[in-house]
Amino acid sequence: MRLLIPFAVAVLAITPAAAQQAIGKPAGNFRLTDADGKSVTLGQFKGRPVVLEWNNPGCPYVKKHYESGNMQATQAKAKAAGAVWLTINSGAPGKQGYMTGPQAKSFVTTQKAAPTAYLLDPEGRVGKGYAAKTTPHLYLIDAAGRLVYQGGIDDRPTPDKADVIGARNHVLAALGEVKAGKAVSMPETRPYGCSVKYAD
Amino acid sequence: MAARQAWVATLFFMIVTLFAQVAAAQERHVAIDLVPESARPAAGSTVTLAFDSRPEKSWHGYWKNGGDAGIETTLEWTLPAGVSAGELRYPVPGRLIVGGLMNYVYEAPFAQLVELAIPAGLAAGTKLPIQVKADYLVCTEEICVPETQTLATVLTIGDGAVDPATRARFDGWRLKMPRPLGSPATWQGAQGQFRLAVPFPASAAAGDVYFYPAAGGAVDYAAPQAVTRDGDRIVLTTKAAPGTAAIGAIAGVLATGDGQGFAIRAQPGVVAAVEQASSGGWQAAALAFAGAVVGGLLLNIMPCVFPILSLKALSLAKSGGNEGAARREALAYTAGVVLVCVALGGILLGLRAGGATVGWAFQLQDPRVIGVLLLLTAGIALNLAGLFELPTPAFASRSGTSGAFATGALAAFVATPCTGPFMGAALGAALVLPPAAAMLVFAGLGLGIALPFLLIGFVPALRRRLPRPGAWMARLRRILSVPMFLTALALTWVLGRQAGVDGMTLGLAATLLAGFGLWWTGRRQETGRERAWWPAVPAMALALIVVVLVKPQAAVSAPSMAGVEPFSEARLAALRAEGRPVFAYFTADWCLTCKVNEKAAIETAGTARAFADGKVAVLVGNWTDGDPALGRFIEGHNRAGVPLYLWYPKGAASPRVLPQLLTTGMLTELPGGTT
Repeated sequence: MRLLIPFAVAVLAITPAAAQQAIGKPAGNFRLTDADGKSVTLGQFKGRPVVLEWNNPGCPYVKKHYESGNMQATQAKAKAAGAVWLTINSGAPGKQGYMTGPQAKSFVTTQKAAPTAYLLDPEGRVGKGYAAKTTPHLYLIDAAGRLVYQGGIDDRPTPDKADVIGARNHVLAALGEVKAGKAVSMPETRPYGCSVKYAD
Repeated sequence: MAARQAWVATLFFMIVTLFAQVAAAQERHVAIDLVPESARPAAGSTVTLAFDSRPEKSWHGYWKNGGDAGIETTLEWTLPAGVSAGELRYPVPGRLIVGGLMNYVYEAPFAQLVELAIPAGLAAGTKLPIQVKADYLVCTEEICVPETQTLATVLTIGDGAVDPATRARFDGWRLKMPRPLGSPATWQGAQGQFRLAVPFPASAAAGDVYFYPAAGGAVDYAAPQAVTRDGDRIVLTTKAAPGTAAIGAIAGVLATGDGQGFAIRAQPGVVAAVEQASSGGWQAAALAFAGAVVGGLLLNIMPCVFPILSLKALSLAKSGGNEGAARREALAYTAGVVLVCVALGGILLGLRAGGATVGWAFQLQDPRVIGVLLLLTAGIALNLAGLFELPTPAFASRSGTSGAFATGALAAFVATPCTGPFMGAALGAALVLPPAAAMLVFAGLGLGIALPFLLIGFVPALRRRLPRPGAWMARLRRILSVPMFLTALALTWVLGRQAGVDGMTLGLAATLLAGFGLWWTGRRQETGRERAWWPAVPAMALALIVVVLVKPQAAVSAPSMAGVEPFSEARLAALRAEGRPVFAYFTADWCLTCKVNEKAAIETAGTARAFADGKVAVLVGNWTDGDPALGRFIEGHNRAGVPLYLWYPKGAASPRVLPQLLTTGMLTELPGGTT
């Protein structure tokens, strides 16, 4: 809990202006604390594409992508393409998926995940600012800071690990199009998974 | 030894199995049974299967569209050759907001239905093993669990009989299914707002209206939905989802409370905003108020009001130049007019809120009210014509505040039928405005009517321009009796429309009686007799009783259809056995197309005559509450819902399904035409 106080103050300092992010518009800036207690802002990554991934380790749909190795592979490919990967947890204390900094670090280690940072958002301010609805829910922000993709990780809305194979990975597809200087062909898709466990 | 080992092994296996079952039961948060409506379906028929689902306490399952999160149920069937399963049908869902996210869910036991088509030509007794793997999501407010269950049942080809208890269970589940509304809806996305207009008769009840879109991209799920009933439509306004403009037709369910709902399909179009109680609404109210004042002002020159107004002006002219008295009278007159307008408006809004379809001048839809008004206007006309003199206590020409108030009230009451042409727009607005704003419009109408009189009362210059009393006044009175008689004539015509020739004759007889009484009184007044009024009082009383006895005649323009009976399959069979042609139609209060057909084609004199000549029996099935027995019958004719019009010619084996839009010509041809 002690960890929460500076953190909440930090979040209060910078919150996205709009309640919802629109494709093609500058993505709302934010400041969150990572698993190590360090402050991270979106603005510090300007000039590089940024992927936002909403996470809840208890959600079966998140487990599908971590236990199958799909999420880690996507993270690795995105980073190899020069992108920054921010995993965000907007779970409220007492709800499924809520984690403290050390728990988040342990999750990253045991899952062999490779995000640039794992960020904690227990008050759900950034989550609501981005209208993140499910876990997973993914966003891609281009090097100029504009939102170019929001939606699901892929086009197979099931909890079945076998469905990872053959699915269209929307995030990598969008990232590839951005790298090639093209417009993102599917800028918005329906996210699927568990609902983000926001504080009421 | 071997036997003992086998024993232990069996016991061990049993324990393991039991444990596994317990573990499985603990893992599942929804108990699902696959229930066939008939375990012995006939070959070549369809049988309904139900996924009878009972979520654990505090757990919920999801609708086809789960809302902000949530996944639809997917089914993987393993079916014998030739058997095919239809689409999974979901009952009307409920709403659950968790952490600001909207979920479309089932928190109580629910059942999804599937139609299974059984191929023809299977021998009785053939076993049909049915297996289905269901993947679905269940959640509490804290956690979500995707579950998988494999369900199985075995059907045996038989006679298709349905056990009454099973039928009752299925009927209960069918009642929760959205019914097809039939009429096409329209939607529009404008400035971040999503507006949906659904044709829905003003007379049909609907509470807790909510639109569940079948797919994303239309509305912001969690945003509140504002619902307005605007005549024969429901207009729903909410926040649009981003990028709404790009989507075409929208399907969904319009819930109307108590687990009831309608499947609708909306095409993109123009849906005018219905003003809510916002600043925009008050702006519209102010406009409507101004319109009402102008309309009321215009009413003064209408034959309905002008005579009454002139009565008052006359008395004012007579009364001379007393400033204070003139102002008091003007104010009292205004109060009378405004009060009656507001009271009538209040009654109108109350009736409208109660679901009755009433329009302005509703009080003139009752022939008894018309009768009383007829007596009143005839009496005033006779007075103006000089048949008798109103004594000082009578109100219309009496000076003083109470007389002025009563005159104002009368003016407002008789003015309402004249409002139609001028006030249509303002009154139309009043009916959709918030009640307070609507009352303002009615008050404005009253103020408009009273305005000229207020001016005369408060501007002495104007009053000075009024001519001095003199002999000309008597002549003017006679002249003013003419529009009053015309008003009486108009009222007689209305009475005739409403109560037929008999009612009109009664009304005229009552007027004659009252006139006779008043004439006698006039005679006595001329000769200066005491108690001049005693002949008029019983005559007026009797006349009043007579007009109150006038009954509305329903059959003025709507011929009642002789021999219309409620539909039942037994009655249909009996009528057909008698060899009578049968016209069976299925309708519902919420079906606008049905109402239009009934008014325009079925309940017409031509159709009634043709049906009577052809001895056609008419059966009406009312599907307003979704009666499952009717629903099955309707589905049996390959229609998802009402309207359904069936024509059973004499002796024909099967009915002709008539189009959904009927004309009188089409119906009158039926009895004479061939099959």
